[in-house]
Amino acid sequence: MIEIKNVSKWFGEFQVLADVNEVVQRGQKVVICGPSGSGKSTLLRCINGLEPYQKGEIVVDGVSLSDPKTNLYKLREKLGMVFQRFELYPHMTVLRNITLAPMKVRKKSRPEAEKKAMELLERVGIPDKAGAYPANLSGGQQQRVAIARALAMEPACMMFDEPTSALDPEMIQEVLEVMIGLAKEGMTMLVVTHEMGFAREVADEIIFMDAGRIVERGRGDDFFKNPKSQRTKDFLGQILK
Amino acid sequence: MDAVLENLPYLLGGFLTNLQLAAFALAGGIFLGTLVGLGRISKRPWVYYPVTLYVNFLRNIPLILVIFWFFFVMPILIGKTLDPFVSAAVSFVVFEATYFGEIFRAGFQSISKDLVSAAYSTGLTYRQTAAYILVPIAVRRMLPSLITQSIITFQDTSLAYVIGLQEMVRRTTIVDGLEVRSVQLYTFVAILFFVICFVGSRISLHYEEKSRKAKVL
Ligand SMILES: Nc1ncnc2c1ncn2[C@@H]1O[C@H](COP(=O)(O)OP(=O)(O)OP(=O)(O)O)[C@@H](O)[C@H]1O
Ligand SMILES: [Mg+2]
Repeated sequence: MIEIKNVSKWFGEFQVLADVNEVVQRGQKVVICGPSGSGKSTLLRCINGLEPYQKGEIVVDGVSLSDPKTNLYKLREKLGMVFQRFELYPHMTVLRNITLAPMKVRKKSRPEAEKKAMELLERVGIPDKAGAYPANLSGGQQQRVAIARALAMEPACMMFDEPTSALDPEMIQEVLEVMIGLAKEGMTMLVVTHEMGFAREVADEIIFMDAGRIVERGRGDDFFKNPKSQRTKDFLGQILK
Repeated sequence: MDAVLENLPYLLGGFLTNLQLAAFALAGGIFLGTLVGLGRISKRPWVYYPVTLYVNFLRNIPLILVIFWFFFVMPILIGKTLDPFVSAAVSFVVFEATYFGEIFRAGFQSISKDLVSAAYSTGLTYRQTAAYILVPIAVRRMLPSLITQSIITFQDTSLAYVIGLQEMVRRTTIVDGLEVRSVQLYTFVAILFFVICFVGSRISLHYEEKSRKAKVL
């Protein structure tokens, strides 16, 4: 589904990504963790064509992002993305937030788009908030709307960039539950998170990044119990304490 | 009050011209200003640099010069004298667009990079993101500044008297020339402008309060 081959990226002199290699198969769930500034968000942004990279290649669903003929807009429809700070459109109701892209990009009719949006709101547990504005929702509710908005385009893969790290502790669970639900339905997922409970439960693979490199990769418990590099041990020691 | 009352239809006719000129200046200035604002945040050098040059150039010369210059230079370029109203309207649009453009730029820049990324990540194109996300949010955030600049534009329409446009100040000087009642005539003009602009600034305040309370943005 997603192939990342030897990707390097620089911001001016500063190297953010260094020879990153990774393959995400359809249906796989990959969790990325690592210290702040290690390039996790940048990697997701590159996969979505929101940032250019200077070396290597990223192929999504058989389509190369390096190819100048690739229509990035079409490509992004396949990849849903959820951000740390929700990023809902503040001037639109929850329902409009969700129906905008299906109506404008997929040219769905309003009733059709709204029906689908209501199903999604049902699924993330807040159908009663359809008419509310984002500012009147709690953080957890906003993030669930953001997930519904991404799902409305029926993406083949969902990418999450620290979806719970801006949330109060009591709201983290409600968002994780939605994500676990998605995972169980077989969604392909690429998740940047430090929620190690979530990683243990759903991840097929866990990647540890540091200074733009993938330092270590492993499966579930193995990753936590027998980290190979000292850097990973230190990091896990910090977040699992 | 006799000089005012006797010439009231004539003077108000001039005021109507001010209102019409302001309407053109605002509609054109805000439309062009939106594009200028987008150009000022563009990552494409061939968009950014010309637009920036245009903005910096016009913001550093007085409006009255732009009005004069356009009125006297255009005939040389196109070979015929322009109607003062058309000439003034074009000057205003071109001039005010730089001010509205900077207001929009500030509005666009207050929108986080991730919000724009979120829109793109659902497959929206640049145009769609600008039309449904960037411009509406910028307009809401910028509404008070937009209204303030609109009031300034309205006040400035009287500057068009320098090219002989029959707006209210021009007509007042004509009436004053005949009747010699400067105090009452100019007081009347000042009051009319004051009322319109005061109402405008109240509306601006109202929106500022409203968006603060609703914290929608
Ligand atoms: N537009 C940019 N220009 C220059 N440097 C940037 C830019 N965006 C990010 N960086 C730098 O690139 C590095 C990686 O950033 P990135 O956001 O990918 O890290 P991250 O792993 O997501 O960190 P965090 O956990 O804090 O979100 C950081 O050092 C950051 O300062
Ligand atoms: Mg990040």
